[in-house]
Amino acid sequence: MKHRVTTALALVAALFVLPFVAATQSQAEPLRIEITDGVIEPLPFALPDFVAENAAGSEFASKIARVVAADLTGTGLFREIPKDAFISTVTNFDSPVQYADWKAINAQALIVGAVNVNGNKVTVKFRLFDVFSGAPLGEGLQFGGTTTSWRRMAHKVADAAYSRITGEGAYFDSRVVYVSETGPKNDRKKRLAIMDYDGANVQFLTDSRSLVLAPRFSPTGDRVLYTSYETGFPKIYVLDVASVGRRALADQPGTMTFAPRFSPDGQTVVYSLSSGGNTDIYRMNIGGGAPVRLTSEPSIETAPSFSPDGKQIVFESDRSGNQQLYIMPANGGEARRISFGSGRYGTPVWSPRGDLIAFTKQNKGRFHIGVMRVDGSEERLLTASFLDEGPSWSPNGRVIMFMRETAGAGGAVGLYSVDISGRNLRRVKTDGGASDPAWSPLLK
Amino acid sequence: MDSGPLISGIGHGALLAWALIGGMFSRAPDDTFEVSEVSIISAEEFAALSAPQPTPEATQNVPTPPVPEIEDTPPEQPVVAAPPEVPDTPINETPPRADVAPDVAPDVVEAPPPIAEVDDTPPEVVQPPVQDNPVVLAPPSTTASPRPAPRVAPTPVEAPPPDTEVAEETREQTTDSSDAQTQSEPEEATAPEEANDRIVTEADEPPSSAPTSSSRPSARPKRPTPPVEAATNDNSTRDAIADALAGVQTEDATAPASAPVGPPLTGGDKDVLRVAVSSCWNVGSLSTDALQTTVVVSMTMGKDGKPDNGSIRMLSSSGGSSAAAKQAFEAARRAIIRCTKGGYKLPIEKYSHWREIEMTFNPEKMRIK
Repeated sequence: MKHRVTTALALVAALFVLPFVAATQSQAEPLRIEITDGVIEPLPFALPDFVAENAAGSEFASKIARVVAADLTGTGLFREIPKDAFISTVTNFDSPVQYADWKAINAQALIVGAVNVNGNKVTVKFRLFDVFSGAPLGEGLQFGGTTTSWRRMAHKVADAAYSRITGEGAYFDSRVVYVSETGPKNDRKKRLAIMDYDGANVQFLTDSRSLVLAPRFSPTGDRVLYTSYETGFPKIYVLDVASVGRRALADQPGTMTFAPRFSPDGQTVVYSLSSGGNTDIYRMNIGGGAPVRLTSEPSIETAPSFSPDGKQIVFESDRSGNQQLYIMPANGGEARRISFGSGRYGTPVWSPRGDLIAFTKQNKGRFHIGVMRVDGSEERLLTASFLDEGPSWSPNGRVIMFMRETAGAGGAVGLYSVDISGRNLRRVKTDGGASDPAWSPLLK
Repeated sequence: MDSGPLISGIGHGALLAWALIGGMFSRAPDDTFEVSEVSIISAEEFAALSAPQPTPEATQNVPTPPVPEIEDTPPEQPVVAAPPEVPDTPINETPPRADVAPDVAPDVVEAPPPIAEVDDTPPEVVQPPVQDNPVVLAPPSTTASPRPAPRVAPTPVEAPPPDTEVAEETREQTTDSSDAQTQSEPEEATAPEEANDRIVTEADEPPSSAPTSSSRPSARPKRPTPPVEAATNDNSTRDAIADALAGVQTEDATAPASAPVGPPLTGGDKDVLRVAVSSCWNVGSLSTDALQTTVVVSMTMGKDGKPDNGSIRMLSSSGGSSAAAKQAFEAARRAIIRCTKGGYKLPIEKYSHWREIEMTFNPEKMRIK
């Protein structure tokens, strides 16, 4: 009997207490879900023609919008929604955005811009909207310049939109110096040329009377180091991009100098010097002075490239009997090997972010552009062809440009770019053949 | 007068009365035992019964298949000839454009160093010796071919036939037939967009017939928390209490209380939400830094299965900078809102369980590797 009474009392207590306990737990415990699988696909965006705020602006309104769209779609991360799918039109820069109309066509981002031309001055302004959130993505921005620089302003608009959506650094407003090649394979004419990153505005920096190789931008983008054979032997020159004036560097009689590259502060140059059948890496001040020898091996050491902090140098060497990648302190010293895969590794270039090293790999008769961590781990091959060579990083470290040559006597040489994920391999538009690309830093 | 409390009171009263009184006048159960007969055996018989049975002998001489001979010598690499290239001869050609013409022109051009020519004929492939062993061919791969696809998704999808509209579900094309007894609108064929389950680079080798990867199985859904039981062993009493609790909960479901009602969400219920949001979580436009960042997002859901967009906020982040967390959160928010459409298909009777949701977006599997 006593047991039953106790049981009954416990039940009564449970009946009154449990609901309160459960209610408390419910309020404190929302439903928790973990999402680990997503998709990787281009983000659809809408880009109506920019609004011409005056008659003169109409000449540039559409052109600027097209360059912005080409920049964004060229990354492979975005997909432009065709204009004929638009429900809304944008006729006034300050009109409220009809989010429902853009949402209906699945536009996830909307770019609205306007152009005003006064004399030879162009003003371009734009706003970026997150359609599904129904809110602007950042503040509106405005750029000013001359009518001749309208493409740069378009690149700047695209850079801002790209950075706001992806979180990556900008890279559209940049240039590329490369070796322009014409003529048949056995009689190539080579000269230095510079162009916008997308192949527009090509200018030649040298003539084709001598062979030129491996141009490299200074960190400020105003000078270019390159190797010329005009004396019959490879010799390093530094060229001022604005004036096209140049001077020889590291001119040591009886030696061959090549593969130069600036240090991150632009004050020092590392290069290879070949003398007496041996090739080692040297370093010298850009203003002159005595070169400092950084390696002293009987093997071939070449293709040096600084780390972004300037404290280390990655280079290629065949000291192990096979061409591999090594890293040493910027002032020389013990080098450690970082590449251990099959095949031969060369032309290493340190990423501007400092986390990856791009390289050329030759294996089983194929050439690859690849990347690996600074410690040599996580090697990934991004391309494969008859001949891929000479990677160069975009200013934000997200894209690699390189040279590709097709097989055969009539093989063509051209520039290609690829995202570091291995996606979005595409050819860079150039007039004629092109090789040895070097990406500039972002323009100021 | 509100009938709810009255019914509840009557129900509770009846339950308590039954618990207190119902059992008092019942007859205590008989303490009866079931009896089985046993027999006594001798020690010898017990030893004979419990002796270990002889185990089958393991076969030692299993014929091993012959090891295929593999040549140590690698296939011949293409010979790289390095003939010196004919030097550029000075040509009096048109100088570069005036505005960019170099101010120095070389006088003498000598032979440049040789440039390696690469033989484009592939090396001979050394075939391994043919074996006599029977070869079992693997079945053809059912996964999408490892060629670059514009979309990377957890489930690979073959490219739809041309002129097929992209949609979530596969549907055959139907035509308007005059012979048909039932008139129906002609419908376009639809199929999911082509997708691969990984990033395929140009350097990737052609696939073998074996699958190159398999998706990790989903984590087992958590078991629902067992209900708190009253301290009694009487099954009939427990069932009655459960019935009474259910009755009370049903009454409270109509009231705007915050207490959970209805059974808890099943793993399937949660998967509906997880799969729907996953299909819209596009990390392709995220920076590499944002792809290192896990964000926890909270939201309040309406009964129509749609989130209150204004309630979506980032609770916490880990693994990246604040800028990266902001990008990751925006991608997460887009995923939540985009895939709402007509509302997530969640059971309305369990609304109080999913009214408040916390979603963790962990891009670890989606990183560039």
